Amino acid sequence: VKKTGLAVLAALFSVSASAANKPARVPVPQPAVEQASEVAPSPVIATMTQELNREMPIFSKATPPAYFISYILTSTDRTEVMGSNGALLSSEDSRSRWLETQVRVGSYNLDDTHKVGNSPASQGTFGTAVPLDDAPEVLRRAMWLSTDKQFRAASEALIKIQTSKEVQAQTAEEHAPDFSREKPSVHYGPEVSIHPDRKPWEEKVRLYTRAFRASPQILNSIVTFSATGVNQYQVTSEGTSLQFGQVHYRLELFIQGKAPDGMDINRYYNFDWTNPSDEPDDKTVLAEGQVLRKELEALVAAPLVEPYAGPALLTGRATAVFFHEVFGHRAEGFRQKDITEGQTFARKVDEQILPKFISIYDDPTMKRLGKDILLGFYPFDDEGVPAERVTLVDHGVLKNFEMSRQPLIGFPHSNGHGRRQIGAQPVSRQGNLIVESNLTVSNAELRKKLIEEIKQQGKPFGLLIDDIAGGFTFTGRGQPQAFQVQPLVVYKVFPDGRPDELVRGVDIVGTPLVSLTKIVATGDTIETFNGYCGAESGSVPVSASAPAILISEMEVQKKETSTDKPPILPPPAHDPKAVHP
Amino acid sequence: MSRAQSRMKSGSMKIMELKSYWVLALIAALTLTASRPAGAAPPRRPSTATSAQPQQAPSDGDHTLAAMQDELDRSRTRLELSVPGSNEPARPYFIQYRLLDLDVRTIVAEFGALVSSTHGRNRIMSVDVRVGNYNLDSSNFITDEGFTGFLGSTGTVGIDRDYDSLRQDLWLATDQAFKAAVENYSKKQAFMSRLAKAPSIPDFSAAEPTVLVEPLHDSDWTTRNWENEARAVSAALRQFPQLYSSRVTYHLIYTTSYLLNTDGTKIRANHSLAAIEASLDTESDDGMSLHNFVAVYRHRPDELPSAEDVRKQVEKAGEDLITLRVSPPAADYDGPVLFEAPAAGSLLAQILGPSLSGARGPLAMQSAFDQLMDRLGGRNEWTGKLGTRVLPGTVSMVDDPTAKQFGGRDLLGTYDVDQEGVKAQKVQVVENGLLLDFLMSRRPGPDLDKTNGHGRAAYLGDPRPMASNLFFTSTDGISPDAMKRKFMDECKQNGNKWCLIVRAMDNPVLGVLEQDDLSDIVMGAASGAATGDRLPLLVYRVDAADGQESLIRGAHLSGLTVRAIRNIAAVGNDATAFDFMQSQQAGFAGTALAAFGSADSGVPTTIIAPSLLLDDVEVHGARGEPERLPLVPPPPIN
Repeated sequence: VKKTGLAVLAALFSVSASAANKPARVPVPQPAVEQASEVAPSPVIATMTQELNREMPIFSKATPPAYFISYILTSTDRTEVMGSNGALLSSEDSRSRWLETQVRVGSYNLDDTHKVGNSPASQGTFGTAVPLDDAPEVLRRAMWLSTDKQFRAASEALIKIQTSKEVQAQTAEEHAPDFSREKPSVHYGPEVSIHPDRKPWEEKVRLYTRAFRASPQILNSIVTFSATGVNQYQVTSEGTSLQFGQVHYRLELFIQGKAPDGMDINRYYNFDWTNPSDEPDDKTVLAEGQVLRKELEALVAAPLVEPYAGPALLTGRATAVFFHEVFGHRAEGFRQKDITEGQTFARKVDEQILPKFISIYDDPTMKRLGKDILLGFYPFDDEGVPAERVTLVDHGVLKNFEMSRQPLIGFPHSNGHGRRQIGAQPVSRQGNLIVESNLTVSNAELRKKLIEEIKQQGKPFGLLIDDIAGGFTFTGRGQPQAFQVQPLVVYKVFPDGRPDELVRGVDIVGTPLVSLTKIVATGDTIETFNGYCGAESGSVPVSASAPAILISEMEVQKKETSTDKPPILPPPAHDPKAVHP
Repeated sequence: MSRAQSRMKSGSMKIMELKSYWVLALIAALTLTASRPAGAAPPRRPSTATSAQPQQAPSDGDHTLAAMQDELDRSRTRLELSVPGSNEPARPYFIQYRLLDLDVRTIVAEFGALVSSTHGRNRIMSVDVRVGNYNLDSSNFITDEGFTGFLGSTGTVGIDRDYDSLRQDLWLATDQAFKAAVENYSKKQAFMSRLAKAPSIPDFSAAEPTVLVEPLHDSDWTTRNWENEARAVSAALRQFPQLYSSRVTYHLIYTTSYLLNTDGTKIRANHSLAAIEASLDTESDDGMSLHNFVAVYRHRPDELPSAEDVRKQVEKAGEDLITLRVSPPAADYDGPVLFEAPAAGSLLAQILGPSLSGARGPLAMQSAFDQLMDRLGGRNEWTGKLGTRVLPGTVSMVDDPTAKQFGGRDLLGTYDVDQEGVKAQKVQVVENGLLLDFLMSRRPGPDLDKTNGHGRAAYLGDPRPMASNLFFTSTDGISPDAMKRKFMDECKQNGNKWCLIVRAMDNPVLGVLEQDDLSDIVMGAASGAATGDRLPLLVYRVDAADGQESLIRGAHLSGLTVRAIRNIAAVGNDATAFDFMQSQQAGFAGTALAAFGSADSGVPTTIIAPSLLLDDVEVHGARGEPERLPLVPPPPIN
């Protein structure tokens, strides 16, 4: 029950929410990463370098020659405490060290990762678990085996590519080099560690989930506390040598219910922090739990939305997810090269794609925005390139893409956005996506504008979208050029001053480029979502921040309902006929 | 979800993340939806109406059975669903709750260094609701449906042994299981109405209710430092720089299992298991992948042999593998093969697995499933042969879960009640060569209906008939020396210059470290399962003239089905216990992969068997092109 529930949840929340309702006008970019103090590197770096120096000379003279070898060792300490329906579900500490080896054969211009036609690009392996103990010989043995294995796979892939007829017939875009040349980075930051005490959290997750039992509408509740300390060590044959660590604490609240027609109703909230003293107190968490409960109960009772097209106001949180899905994914560099992708933005550089008052950048060097931490912070990406702030849209004009080391014609270099979940091959991904506006009004003013817009268009009502879960963004060419994000909390707003009416089952439909051009005004308060974004290279932590937006026309449809009917019997705790101890 | 994946990949082992490969997973998925045993029997009246009196608060703080009982009673009396085209609403005729409380430590080390060390407590539940009647119910049917909603009939539940959260979870799981049963039942009836001849084997059999509530046990982690033991044991392999990789895993498992059903069965029983599983691999100079393994199983962690003892076993496995590396490749061969105990036990486990079970297979909407089962060797070859000779007239075979010891050592397959809450029974499967009985769960079969307490499973898998402690005995067993002489005589008579002795059979699930290699073996073995392909590990070529022995590598045995043991040239008197984890993947029971699981997924089993001489075995040398060796020599290890 729980595990599947979480899987569904995760799938649902391509960007899962976190929130904030703090005032912060246009974000002030902080000075780029404060250069973390340099320390002496861990002995692991020396071991990895030693083995790299043994492997590279031989493989670089092999046939075909390897021109690049990279090793990443990721050391993860994790504590997770989960509760459900008032009881502890699990409470565990785990430690792991994972080695990823990449061997590229051929040349920067054409190597084994070159994509041919519709065939999937060659995939690296998932890597291998290596000792937690400091055991240089054992680590080196794992590096030795995985290097040979990766070389073997890469050689086979390159031979297939070189003999493929399709390579000869490729377009200019497809002929861009396979790997960019970057200046090597050497940086040794301090290693991090976490020391959470599980006991108090065990009590807390019991307490938080027990509170949800009071509602007969809540079928299931899961609260998860996690603490993660990750140290990453990387060495490459180009001379990059890195060591840095990151700590992340998270508390997630999740409840599930069902409308009378069987539609699943989920509410979710997460707290994120990096400093142990910033953990939310019980009062704050229980209050947020009450909000979720009230929303769930109201949604269970709410009517289904009918198909509608008209003005819509998205709150900052909803807007952030909207931009992440609709814009952010399409601005990922690798999609512009891939002929199976729609190449939505590939040929639109320097064109006006958004209203002039909108600018968008992605800045993984920012740790915070206002009082929120930004989950997409990192000092170096997973290809060892320093994170950079990238202006994607400048006053409505498309300027740049999130770039990994996979170049595009006209964009020969990485801007530090090559990211991956452990075990996957990095591709260009978002970090901290931030939407700025210089046509702002107060949020109250924005609501007034919504009502004006409803009247002007002669619509019976408009929509206020307060919370969105990132849906599946179809960017493949075989798919319709449409996107679906899932609004979770949607109100009808009436022009005659009646109270707003909650509706459920809302799905947004439409064409991304068009919907983006229909923004008529924005609010003045930036809100942030922190979440995990799933895409080709796995799940990576990201944030998205944006002000509320008013869209002159948005089209919605009714969401498919689950065929699962609500339970036949009432919940045991709310069944007057049930026997209890 | 990717966080969960990354955690899995990064080595934190969860007990439910069982070793499974895609083919196995497919079968598991199919069989899980399908199964659920059953017998034919007059519908039993479930125990009397809902109790009005609340449960007493237990003194041990364990509210599990109380929560299960109250929700079971509520569901039994009040669950109903109207069915289109019927005046009678559907109601469950049988409900069973199983819950497993797991306290598990898993420690992995290689070459003296700790790779991972986890300790977790989890509780999982499984709810079985049946609609229909004993003769025809909602079980034993594979529909064309896949996923049916996020609130399933199985899952993780709270570990506090509390009342309220468990009842909430059981409520949802029961609801889900009941709805699925109603739908399955109606689909099954529709499907059967299309068949020319509907199968007549009942779906479920009645069983005597059992009440067995043991006091709660505490997990005893003793004073041994398991992490250091794993380090010390795995360090033994540092002396073999030719090894590519190696792994030593300690599995220390305490469980409390609960079972409650509408027959009135009520169980709380404690179990534990301690295992050390080691695997090591390398390549020969001509590029043949080679591996070896060590497996040690005991009932409790404190019964595990000392690190020094295990270290010696692991060292021996290392020496054997290094010898194997430089030994000559096997050539094709037909002739006598001597299986020394305990290799004979391992061989019998693979050959007999599917044929011991008397339970029926599921009805499948897609015929592909049937064909798959056939190809994989999951069929019972003894069906319809009760009363006929299936083994030599001197051989008898008993499966006895109530037996505790053999030769002063504890047996692994001992239990009081099976996973369906039925009392364990000793079963005389074969007497003087004649097939007398099958192992039975509550799922009837073509020949027999009633359970004999052999519904086995691990980790709440689907209970199915499996061996527990299987004794293979002969009235005319001969001494090892006499066996050897007989073997040499046969060899000469056969006109062979040399013949083969098998000292150890392979267990690829334990032995193979590389997932890619294992996938290759899965595919290879799956195709040969029905024809009796078996993988030996240590095979010796014996010179017919002077008795000189030399190890060979890469041999495959073929044709070793139940037919091959109907006549056995000679049986030893050296009965030896072979402990192993029986795989729960029934469809694969005929292969090495199938017969064998690991301690984190299998069902503990012991086979007691003597050496066996088979006079006509087909042996193949290695096939296929070997891969090139690593370009770079291995880094130093010492």
